[in-house]
Amino acid sequence: MNIFRMTKAEFKKIKRSRILLILIASAVILWLPNVLNAGLNFTMDDIGISPEHSFFIQGFMGMAWFIFPAVMVASTVLLIQTERANKGILKMLSLPASAPLLCLAKFFVLAVISAVFVLLMAAAYYISAGIAGAAQDYNFILMPDYVFPILVKLYLVSLPMLSVFWLIAVCIQTPVFSIGIGLASIVPSVLINNTKAWFLYPMGYPFYLVTAEYGKAAENFGERQMDLVPWLPAAISITLICLLISCLYFGRAERR
Amino acid sequence: MKIALECKKIRRTGLVPAFLAGGAAAAALPIINTAVRTDTFAAMAGTPASILLDANSQMLAMLNLLLLTAGACILYHIEYADHALLKMQSLPARESGLFFGKLCLLIPLFLIVAVLETTALYYCGMRYLDGDAALFAELLKSLGFSFLLTLPAAALSLMIASVCRNMWNSLGICILCIFMATMLPTDNFIASLFPYALPFRVLPGVSADHVLRYCTAALCETGAVCMAEIIYLKIRRLSV
Repeated sequence: MNIFRMTKAEFKKIKRSRILLILIASAVILWLPNVLNAGLNFTMDDIGISPEHSFFIQGFMGMAWFIFPAVMVASTVLLIQTERANKGILKMLSLPASAPLLCLAKFFVLAVISAVFVLLMAAAYYISAGIAGAAQDYNFILMPDYVFPILVKLYLVSLPMLSVFWLIAVCIQTPVFSIGIGLASIVPSVLINNTKAWFLYPMGYPFYLVTAEYGKAAENFGERQMDLVPWLPAAISITLICLLISCLYFGRAERR
Repeated sequence: MKIALECKKIRRTGLVPAFLAGGAAAAALPIINTAVRTDTFAAMAGTPASILLDANSQMLAMLNLLLLTAGACILYHIEYADHALLKMQSLPARESGLFFGKLCLLIPLFLIVAVLETTALYYCGMRYLDGDAALFAELLKSLGFSFLLTLPAAALSLMIASVCRNMWNSLGICILCIFMATMLPTDNFIASLFPYALPFRVLPGVSADHVLRYCTAALCETGAVCMAEIIYLKIRRLSV
Protein backbone atom coordinates (compact mmCIF):
# COMPACT_ATOMS: atom_id res chain seq x y z
CA MET A 1 0.00 0.00 0.00
CA ASN A 2 1.34 3.40 -0.84
CA ILE A 3 0.76 6.51 1.20
CA PHE A 4 -2.07 7.82 -1.00
CA ARG A 5 -4.19 4.69 -0.66
CA MET A 6 -3.57 4.69 3.08
CA THR A 7 -4.63 8.31 3.40
CA LYS A 8 -7.76 7.52 1.40
CA ALA A 9 -8.54 4.66 3.79
CA GLU A 10 -8.03 6.97 6.76
CA PHE A 11 -10.56 9.41 5.34
CA LYS A 12 -13.09 6.62 4.98
CA LYS A 13 -12.66 5.79 8.66
CA ILE A 14 -13.61 9.25 9.87
CA LYS A 15 -16.58 9.58 7.52
CA ARG A 16 -19.19 9.17 10.22
CA SER A 17 -17.27 10.89 13.01
CA ARG A 18 -19.27 14.18 12.92
CA ILE A 19 -16.00 16.12 13.18
CA LEU A 20 -17.24 18.42 10.43
CA LEU A 21 -20.24 19.38 12.59
CA ILE A 22 -17.91 20.39 15.42
CA LEU A 23 -15.82 22.46 13.01
CA ILE A 24 -18.89 24.22 11.61
CA ALA A 25 -20.34 24.85 15.06
CA SER A 26 -17.09 26.42 16.24
CA ALA A 27 -17.04 28.73 13.19
CA VAL A 28 -20.61 29.84 13.96
CA ILE A 29 -19.91 30.36 17.67
CA LEU A 30 -16.81 32.38 16.79
CA TRP A 31 -18.39 34.75 14.28
CA LEU A 32 -21.85 35.26 15.76
CA PRO A 33 -20.71 37.59 18.61
CA ASN A 34 -18.48 39.41 16.14
CA VAL A 35 -21.46 40.10 13.87
CA LEU A 36 -23.62 41.20 16.80
CA ASN A 37 -20.92 43.53 18.15
CA ALA A 38 -19.73 44.74 14.74
CA GLY A 39 -20.47 48.32 15.83
CA LEU A 40 -17.53 48.18 18.27
CA ASN A 41 -15.14 48.13 15.31
CA PHE A 42 -15.94 51.79 14.65
CA THR A 43 -14.53 52.85 18.04
CA MET A 44 -10.93 51.77 17.36
CA ASP A 45 -9.64 55.27 16.55
CA ASP A 46 -7.01 55.29 19.30
CA ILE A 47 -5.41 52.12 17.92
CA GLY A 48 -5.59 53.45 14.37
CA ILE A 49 -7.08 50.43 12.63
CA SER A 50 -9.79 50.58 10.00
CA PRO A 51 -13.14 48.94 10.91
CA GLU A 52 -12.92 46.24 8.27
CA HIS A 53 -9.40 45.20 9.31
CA SER A 54 -10.44 45.24 12.95
CA PHE A 55 -13.42 42.99 12.20
CA PHE A 56 -11.22 40.50 10.36
CA ILE A 57 -8.37 40.41 12.87
CA GLN A 58 -10.58 40.28 15.99
CA GLY A 59 -12.32 37.18 14.63
CA PHE A 60 -9.12 35.42 13.71
CA MET A 61 -7.51 36.31 17.05
CA GLY A 62 -10.34 34.48 18.81
CA MET A 63 -9.77 31.53 16.54
CA ALA A 64 -5.99 31.34 16.77
CA TRP A 65 -5.88 31.75 20.53
CA PHE A 66 -8.08 28.91 21.73
CA ILE A 67 -10.51 27.17 19.43
CA PHE A 68 -8.06 26.26 16.68
CA PRO A 69 -5.58 24.38 18.92
CA ALA A 70 -8.38 22.91 21.03
CA VAL A 71 -10.28 21.52 18.05
CA MET A 72 -7.04 20.05 16.75
CA VAL A 73 -6.52 18.25 20.08
CA ALA A 74 -10.04 16.84 19.73
CA SER A 75 -9.16 15.72 16.19
CA THR A 76 -6.09 13.84 17.39
CA VAL A 77 -8.36 12.06 19.89
CA LEU A 78 -10.64 11.20 16.98
CA LEU A 79 -7.81 9.76 14.88
CA ILE A 80 -6.36 7.70 17.72
CA GLN A 81 -9.61 6.49 19.31
CA THR A 82 -11.39 5.37 16.11
CA GLU A 83 -8.72 2.70 15.82
CA ARG A 84 -8.39 1.77 19.45
CA ALA A 85 -12.15 1.49 20.03
CA ASN A 86 -12.57 -1.98 18.53
CA LYS A 87 -8.92 -2.98 18.32
CA GLY A 88 -8.85 -1.81 14.71
CA ILE A 89 -5.24 -0.81 15.16
CA LEU A 90 -4.24 -4.47 15.61
CA LYS A 91 -5.74 -5.30 12.21
CA MET A 92 -4.03 -2.32 10.61
CA LEU A 93 -0.66 -3.33 12.05
CA SER A 94 -1.07 -6.91 10.80
CA LEU A 95 -1.40 -5.65 7.21
CA PRO A 96 1.68 -5.68 4.99
CA ALA A 97 2.01 -1.93 5.41
CA SER A 98 4.70 -0.03 7.19
CA ALA A 99 3.70 1.50 10.49
CA PRO A 100 5.58 4.79 9.95
CA LEU A 101 3.67 5.34 6.70
CA LEU A 102 0.42 4.61 8.51
CA CYS A 103 1.37 7.22 11.08
CA LEU A 104 2.18 9.73 8.35
CA ALA A 105 -1.14 9.02 6.61
CA LYS A 106 -2.96 9.82 9.84
CA PHE A 107 -0.96 13.01 10.22
CA PHE A 108 -1.97 14.01 6.69
CA VAL A 109 -5.60 13.55 7.68
CA LEU A 110 -5.01 15.80 10.68
CA ALA A 111 -3.38 18.39 8.41
CA VAL A 112 -6.36 18.23 6.04
CA ILE A 113 -8.81 18.68 8.94
CA SER A 114 -6.84 21.75 9.94
CA ALA A 115 -6.96 23.07 6.35
CA VAL A 116 -10.72 22.48 6.24
CA PHE A 117 -11.07 24.36 9.51
CA VAL A 118 -9.12 27.36 8.18
CA LEU A 119 -11.21 27.37 4.99
CA LEU A 120 -14.45 27.12 6.99
CA MET A 121 -13.28 30.07 9.03
CA ALA A 122 -12.67 32.02 5.82
CA ALA A 123 -16.12 31.15 4.48
CA ALA A 124 -17.70 32.10 7.80
CA TYR A 125 -15.73 35.34 7.76
CA TYR A 126 -17.05 36.35 4.34
CA ILE A 127 -20.64 35.45 5.23
CA SER A 128 -20.52 37.28 8.55
CA ALA A 129 -18.73 40.28 7.02
CA GLY A 130 -21.54 40.46 4.51
CA ILE A 131 -24.23 40.28 7.20
CA ALA A 132 -22.47 42.76 9.47
CA GLY A 133 -21.97 45.08 6.52
CA ALA A 134 -25.65 45.00 5.69
CA ALA A 135 -26.61 45.61 9.32
CA GLN A 136 -24.13 48.48 9.87
CA ASP A 137 -24.37 49.91 6.36
CA TYR A 138 -20.59 49.72 5.90
CA ASN A 139 -18.44 47.53 3.68
CA PHE A 140 -16.61 45.12 6.01
CA ILE A 141 -15.46 42.78 3.25
CA LEU A 142 -11.70 42.72 2.62
CA MET A 143 -10.27 41.70 -0.74
CA PRO A 144 -9.20 38.04 -1.09
CA ASP A 145 -5.67 39.12 -2.03
CA TYR A 146 -5.26 40.42 1.54
CA VAL A 147 -7.18 37.64 3.32
CA PHE A 148 -5.86 34.54 1.58
CA PRO A 149 -2.11 35.09 2.07
CA ILE A 150 -2.83 35.45 5.80
CA LEU A 151 -4.88 32.26 5.78
CA VAL A 152 -2.12 30.35 4.00
CA LYS A 153 0.43 31.66 6.48
CA LEU A 154 -1.88 30.78 9.39
CA TYR A 155 -2.18 27.25 8.06
CA LEU A 156 1.55 26.85 7.55
CA VAL A 157 2.48 28.11 11.02
CA SER A 158 -0.04 25.69 12.52
CA LEU A 159 1.81 22.66 11.14
CA PRO A 160 4.50 22.57 13.88
CA MET A 161 1.71 22.78 16.47
CA LEU A 162 -0.12 19.89 14.79
CA SER A 163 3.02 17.76 14.81
CA VAL A 164 3.48 18.39 18.54
CA PHE A 165 -0.15 17.43 19.26
CA TRP A 166 0.28 14.35 17.10
CA LEU A 167 3.44 13.39 18.98
CA ILE A 168 1.58 13.74 22.29
CA ALA A 169 -1.35 11.68 21.03
CA VAL A 170 0.82 8.89 19.65
CA CYS A 171 3.36 8.59 22.42
CA ILE A 172 1.14 8.94 25.48
CA GLN A 173 -1.10 5.91 25.68
CA THR A 174 -3.26 7.02 28.60
CA PRO A 175 -5.97 9.18 27.02
CA VAL A 176 -6.43 11.46 30.02
CA PHE A 177 -2.78 12.50 29.89
CA SER A 178 -2.66 13.04 26.13
CA ILE A 179 -5.84 15.15 26.20
CA GLY A 180 -4.86 16.97 29.38
CA ILE A 181 -1.35 17.85 28.22
CA GLY A 182 -2.62 18.94 24.81
CA LEU A 183 -5.33 21.20 26.22
CA ALA A 184 -3.21 22.56 29.05
CA SER A 185 -0.43 23.51 26.64
CA ILE A 186 -2.78 26.02 24.98
CA VAL A 187 -3.33 28.11 28.11
CA PRO A 188 0.16 29.61 28.67
CA SER A 189 0.73 30.40 24.96
CA VAL A 190 -0.20 34.07 25.42
CA LEU A 191 2.30 34.39 28.28
CA ILE A 192 5.06 32.70 26.30
CA ASN A 193 4.35 34.81 23.19
CA ASN A 194 5.29 37.86 25.24
CA THR A 195 8.75 36.50 26.00
CA LYS A 196 11.79 36.44 23.72
CA ALA A 197 11.68 32.64 23.41
CA TRP A 198 8.29 32.57 21.68
CA PHE A 199 9.74 30.75 18.67
CA LEU A 200 10.35 27.64 20.77
CA TYR A 201 6.65 27.18 21.61
CA PRO A 202 4.69 25.90 18.58
CA MET A 203 1.29 26.19 20.31
CA GLY A 204 1.70 29.97 20.28
CA TYR A 205 2.64 30.37 16.58
CA PRO A 206 -0.88 30.93 15.15
CA PHE A 207 -1.72 33.55 17.76
CA TYR A 208 1.66 35.20 17.30
CA LEU A 209 1.08 35.45 13.56
CA VAL A 210 -2.34 37.04 14.00
CA THR A 211 -1.05 39.59 16.53
CA ALA A 212 1.80 40.38 14.11
CA GLU A 213 -0.80 41.03 11.40
CA TYR A 214 -2.71 43.20 13.86
CA GLY A 215 0.45 45.22 14.39
CA LYS A 216 0.79 45.71 10.62
CA ALA A 217 -2.84 46.78 10.15
CA ALA A 218 -2.95 49.10 13.19
CA GLU A 219 -0.84 52.20 13.53
CA ASN A 220 -0.55 52.42 17.32
CA PHE A 221 -0.45 48.78 18.35
CA GLY A 222 3.30 48.27 18.54
CA GLU A 223 5.09 46.36 15.83
CA ARG A 224 5.66 42.70 16.43
CA GLN A 225 7.74 41.10 13.73
CA MET A 226 7.64 37.45 12.87
CA ASP A 227 11.36 37.26 12.11
CA LEU A 228 12.22 34.32 9.94
CA VAL A 229 15.74 33.79 11.25
CA PRO A 230 15.40 32.21 14.66
CA TRP A 231 11.83 31.10 14.00
CA LEU A 232 11.92 29.16 10.71
CA PRO A 233 14.80 26.78 11.60
CA ALA A 234 13.26 26.19 15.02
CA ALA A 235 9.81 25.51 13.57
CA ILE A 236 11.09 23.16 10.87
CA SER A 237 13.27 21.20 13.26
CA ILE A 238 10.45 20.91 15.82
CA THR A 239 8.10 19.60 13.11
CA LEU A 240 10.58 17.09 11.73
CA ILE A 241 11.69 15.81 15.14
CA CYS A 242 8.09 15.40 16.33
CA LEU A 243 7.06 13.57 13.16
CA LEU A 244 10.12 11.34 13.27
CA ILE A 245 9.57 10.32 16.89
CA SER A 246 5.84 9.74 16.39
CA CYS A 247 6.50 7.59 13.29
CA LEU A 248 9.01 5.48 15.19
CA TYR A 249 6.71 5.17 18.18
CA PHE A 250 3.50 4.43 16.30
CA GLY A 251 2.01 1.05 17.23
CA ARG A 252 4.80 0.21 19.64
CA ALA A 253 2.43 -0.33 22.57
CA GLU A 254 0.21 -2.64 20.51
CA ARG A 255 3.07 -4.73 19.17
CA ARG A 256 4.45 -5.52 22.60
CA MET B 1 -20.76 1.45 47.47
CA LYS B 2 -21.20 3.13 44.10
CA ILE B 3 -18.37 5.56 44.79
CA ALA B 4 -16.08 2.75 45.91
CA LEU B 5 -16.83 0.97 42.64
CA GLU B 6 -16.05 4.10 40.65
CA CYS B 7 -12.77 4.50 42.52
CA LYS B 8 -11.80 0.98 41.49
CA LYS B 9 -12.67 1.68 37.87
CA ILE B 10 -10.44 4.71 37.54
CA ARG B 11 -7.44 2.90 38.99
CA ARG B 12 -5.66 2.38 35.70
CA THR B 13 -6.97 5.41 33.81
CA GLY B 14 -4.44 7.74 35.39
CA LEU B 15 -7.18 10.13 36.42
CA VAL B 16 -5.88 10.81 39.93
CA PRO B 17 -2.27 11.42 38.84
CA ALA B 18 -3.61 13.60 36.01
CA PHE B 19 -5.56 15.79 38.41
CA LEU B 20 -2.62 15.98 40.82
CA ALA B 21 -0.24 16.89 37.99
CA GLY B 22 -2.75 19.37 36.59
CA GLY B 23 -3.17 20.91 40.02
CA ALA B 24 0.59 21.17 40.45
CA ALA B 25 0.97 22.80 37.02
CA ALA B 26 -1.89 25.18 37.75
CA ALA B 27 -0.30 26.03 41.10
CA ALA B 28 3.06 26.70 39.44
CA LEU B 29 1.59 29.31 37.07
CA PRO B 30 0.74 32.02 39.65
CA ILE B 31 4.04 31.42 41.45
CA ILE B 32 6.04 31.92 38.23
CA ASN B 33 3.81 34.83 37.22
CA THR B 34 4.34 36.59 40.56
CA ALA B 35 8.03 35.79 40.82
CA VAL B 36 8.74 37.25 37.37
CA ARG B 37 6.61 40.37 37.75
CA THR B 38 6.94 41.08 41.49
CA ASP B 39 7.58 44.80 41.04
CA THR B 40 4.50 45.32 38.84
CA PHE B 41 2.29 43.53 41.34
CA ALA B 42 3.77 45.29 44.37
CA ALA B 43 3.05 48.69 42.79
CA MET B 44 -0.65 47.88 42.24
CA ALA B 45 -3.39 49.25 44.46
CA GLY B 46 -5.66 46.91 46.43
CA THR B 47 -5.25 44.06 48.86
CA PRO B 48 -2.74 41.30 48.02
CA ALA B 49 -5.60 38.82 47.57
CA SER B 50 -7.43 40.93 45.02
CA ILE B 51 -4.22 41.66 43.07
CA LEU B 52 -3.34 37.98 42.90
CA LEU B 53 -6.85 36.87 42.01
CA ASP B 54 -7.24 39.50 39.31
CA ALA B 55 -3.93 38.55 37.73
CA ASN B 56 -4.32 34.78 37.80
CA SER B 57 -7.84 33.52 38.30
CA GLN B 58 -8.98 33.76 34.65
CA MET B 59 -6.13 31.51 33.60
CA LEU B 60 -6.71 29.16 36.52
CA ALA B 61 -10.44 28.96 35.76
CA MET B 62 -9.61 28.02 32.18
CA LEU B 63 -7.21 25.30 33.33
CA ASN B 64 -9.78 23.99 35.81
CA LEU B 65 -12.44 23.78 33.13
CA LEU B 66 -10.13 21.98 30.71
CA LEU B 67 -9.10 19.54 33.43
CA LEU B 68 -12.72 18.88 34.40
CA THR B 69 -13.65 18.35 30.76
CA ALA B 70 -10.85 15.85 30.21
CA GLY B 71 -11.76 14.08 33.45
CA ALA B 72 -15.47 13.87 32.60
CA CYS B 73 -14.71 12.54 29.12
CA ILE B 74 -12.46 9.81 30.51
CA LEU B 75 -14.96 8.83 33.21
CA TYR B 76 -17.56 7.94 30.59
CA HIS B 77 -15.05 6.79 27.97
CA ILE B 78 -14.12 3.82 30.17
CA GLU B 79 -17.80 2.81 30.16
CA TYR B 80 -18.30 3.14 26.42
CA ALA B 81 -14.89 1.83 25.27
CA ASP B 82 -15.50 -1.90 25.71
CA HIS B 83 -19.28 -1.83 26.05
CA ALA B 84 -19.04 -1.87 29.83
CA LEU B 85 -22.08 0.39 29.95
CA LEU B 86 -24.27 -2.45 28.63
CA LYS B 87 -23.21 -4.57 31.59
CA MET B 88 -23.89 -1.72 34.00
CA GLN B 89 -27.34 -1.28 32.47
CA SER B 90 -28.18 -4.95 33.01
CA LEU B 91 -27.40 -4.74 36.74
CA PRO B 92 -30.27 -4.31 39.20
CA ALA B 93 -29.30 -0.69 39.80
CA ARG B 94 -30.44 2.69 38.62
CA GLU B 95 -28.43 4.02 35.74
CA SER B 96 -28.51 7.51 37.22
CA GLY B 97 -26.56 6.09 40.16
CA LEU B 98 -23.63 5.73 37.80
CA PHE B 99 -23.81 9.43 36.97
CA PHE B 100 -23.96 10.49 40.62
CA GLY B 101 -21.14 8.11 41.52
CA LYS B 102 -18.97 9.69 38.85
CA LEU B 103 -20.00 13.20 39.89
CA CYS B 104 -19.11 12.44 43.52
CA LEU B 105 -15.70 11.36 42.27
CA LEU B 106 -15.10 14.29 39.94
CA ILE B 107 -15.97 16.98 42.48
CA PRO B 108 -13.45 15.95 45.18
CA LEU B 109 -10.78 15.61 42.50
CA PHE B 110 -11.53 19.16 41.41
CA LEU B 111 -11.49 20.32 45.03
CA ILE B 112 -7.93 18.99 45.38
CA VAL B 113 -6.90 21.06 42.36
CA ALA B 114 -8.63 24.16 43.70
CA VAL B 115 -6.98 23.77 47.11
CA LEU B 116 -3.55 23.38 45.47
CA GLU B 117 -4.13 26.57 43.48
CA THR B 118 -5.27 28.51 46.54
CA THR B 119 -2.23 27.32 48.47
CA ALA B 120 -0.01 28.61 45.67
CA LEU B 121 -1.79 31.98 45.74
CA TYR B 122 -1.38 32.14 49.53
CA TYR B 123 2.32 31.37 49.18
CA CYS B 124 2.67 34.13 46.57
CA GLY B 125 0.86 36.61 48.81
CA MET B 126 3.00 35.82 51.84
CA ARG B 127 6.32 35.60 50.00
CA TYR B 128 6.10 38.49 47.53
CA LEU B 129 3.33 40.88 48.57
CA ASP B 130 3.63 40.79 52.41
CA GLY B 131 0.17 39.47 53.07
CA ASP B 132 -1.37 39.18 56.51
CA ALA B 133 -4.13 37.18 58.17
CA ALA B 134 -6.77 38.87 56.02
CA LEU B 135 -5.18 37.35 52.92
CA PHE B 136 -5.92 33.85 54.16
CA ALA B 137 -9.57 34.65 54.87
CA GLU B 138 -10.05 36.35 51.51
CA LEU B 139 -8.46 33.50 49.58
CA LEU B 140 -10.55 30.97 51.51
CA LYS B 141 -13.73 32.85 50.59
CA SER B 142 -12.66 33.01 46.97
CA LEU B 143 -11.92 29.27 47.01
CA GLY B 144 -15.42 28.52 48.26
CA PHE B 145 -16.98 30.89 45.74
CA SER B 146 -15.14 29.52 42.72
CA PHE B 147 -15.70 25.94 43.87
CA LEU B 148 -19.44 26.54 44.07
CA LEU B 149 -19.51 28.28 40.70
CA THR B 150 -17.65 25.46 38.98
CA LEU B 151 -20.16 22.79 40.05
CA PRO B 152 -22.59 23.41 37.14
CA ALA B 153 -19.78 23.09 34.59
CA ALA B 154 -18.63 19.83 36.21
CA ALA B 155 -22.14 18.36 36.13
CA LEU B 156 -22.79 19.55 32.57
CA SER B 157 -19.47 18.17 31.28
CA LEU B 158 -20.30 14.83 32.82
CA MET B 159 -23.76 14.91 31.28
CA ILE B 160 -22.35 15.69 27.82
CA ALA B 161 -19.87 12.84 28.28
CA SER B 162 -22.69 10.48 29.24
CA VAL B 163 -24.71 11.42 26.15
CA CYS B 164 -21.94 10.99 23.57
CA ARG B 165 -20.73 7.54 22.72
CA ASN B 166 -17.46 8.77 21.24
CA MET B 167 -14.94 10.63 23.30
CA TRP B 168 -14.04 13.18 20.61
CA ASN B 169 -17.67 14.24 20.33
CA SER B 170 -18.01 14.92 24.04
CA LEU B 171 -14.59 16.57 24.11
CA GLY B 172 -15.46 18.70 21.09
CA ILE B 173 -18.79 19.81 22.53
CA CYS B 174 -17.24 20.67 25.91
CA ILE B 175 -14.48 22.66 24.18
CA LEU B 176 -17.11 24.53 22.17
CA CYS B 177 -18.96 25.35 25.39
CA ILE B 178 -15.78 26.66 27.04
CA PHE B 179 -15.04 28.68 23.91
CA MET B 180 -18.56 30.10 23.92
CA ALA B 181 -18.06 31.14 27.55
CA THR B 182 -14.96 33.11 26.60
CA MET B 183 -16.88 34.87 23.82
CA LEU B 184 -19.89 35.90 25.95
CA PRO B 185 -20.08 39.52 27.13
CA THR B 186 -18.87 39.80 30.73
CA ASP B 187 -21.05 42.71 31.79
CA ASN B 188 -24.36 40.96 31.12
CA PHE B 189 -25.68 39.13 34.22
CA ILE B 190 -27.91 36.71 32.29
CA ALA B 191 -25.11 35.77 29.85
CA SER B 192 -22.70 35.18 32.71
CA LEU B 193 -25.06 32.54 34.12
CA PHE B 194 -24.03 30.16 31.33
CA PRO B 195 -22.59 27.18 33.26
CA TYR B 196 -19.17 27.41 31.62
CA ALA B 197 -19.01 31.18 32.07
CA LEU B 198 -19.64 31.07 35.84
CA PRO B 199 -16.12 29.86 36.81
CA PHE B 200 -14.65 32.98 35.18
CA ARG B 201 -16.28 35.20 37.86
CA VAL B 202 -13.72 36.44 40.37
CA LEU B 203 -14.84 37.22 43.90
CA PRO B 204 -13.18 40.68 44.24
CA GLY B 205 -14.90 41.82 41.03
CA VAL B 206 -18.41 40.78 42.05
CA SER B 207 -20.61 43.11 44.07
CA ALA B 208 -21.97 41.83 47.38
CA ASP B 209 -25.59 41.41 46.29
CA HIS B 210 -24.50 39.52 43.17
CA VAL B 211 -22.47 36.99 45.18
CA LEU B 212 -25.57 35.45 46.69
CA ARG B 213 -27.35 35.44 43.33
CA TYR B 214 -24.44 33.69 41.64
CA CYS B 215 -24.25 31.05 44.37
CA THR B 216 -27.99 30.35 44.18
CA ALA B 217 -27.84 30.22 40.41
CA ALA B 218 -24.92 27.79 40.51
CA LEU B 219 -26.74 25.45 42.89
CA CYS B 220 -29.95 25.65 40.85
CA GLU B 221 -28.09 24.92 37.62
CA THR B 222 -26.35 21.92 39.14
CA GLY B 223 -29.70 20.58 40.33
CA ALA B 224 -31.23 21.23 36.91
CA VAL B 225 -28.43 19.38 35.13
CA CYS B 226 -28.83 16.39 37.45
CA MET B 227 -32.59 16.35 36.83
CA ALA B 228 -32.04 16.62 33.08
CA GLU B 229 -29.62 13.69 33.22
CA ILE B 230 -32.15 11.52 35.10
CA ILE B 231 -34.88 12.36 32.57
CA TYR B 232 -32.53 11.78 29.63
CA LEU B 233 -31.51 8.36 30.96
CA LYS B 234 -35.16 7.35 31.38
CA ILE B 235 -35.96 8.41 27.81
CA ARG B 236 -32.90 6.62 26.43
CA ARG B 237 -33.86 3.46 28.28
CA LEU B 238 -37.37 3.55 26.85
CA SER B 239 -36.30 4.29 23.30
CA VAL B 240 -33.69 1.52 23.01
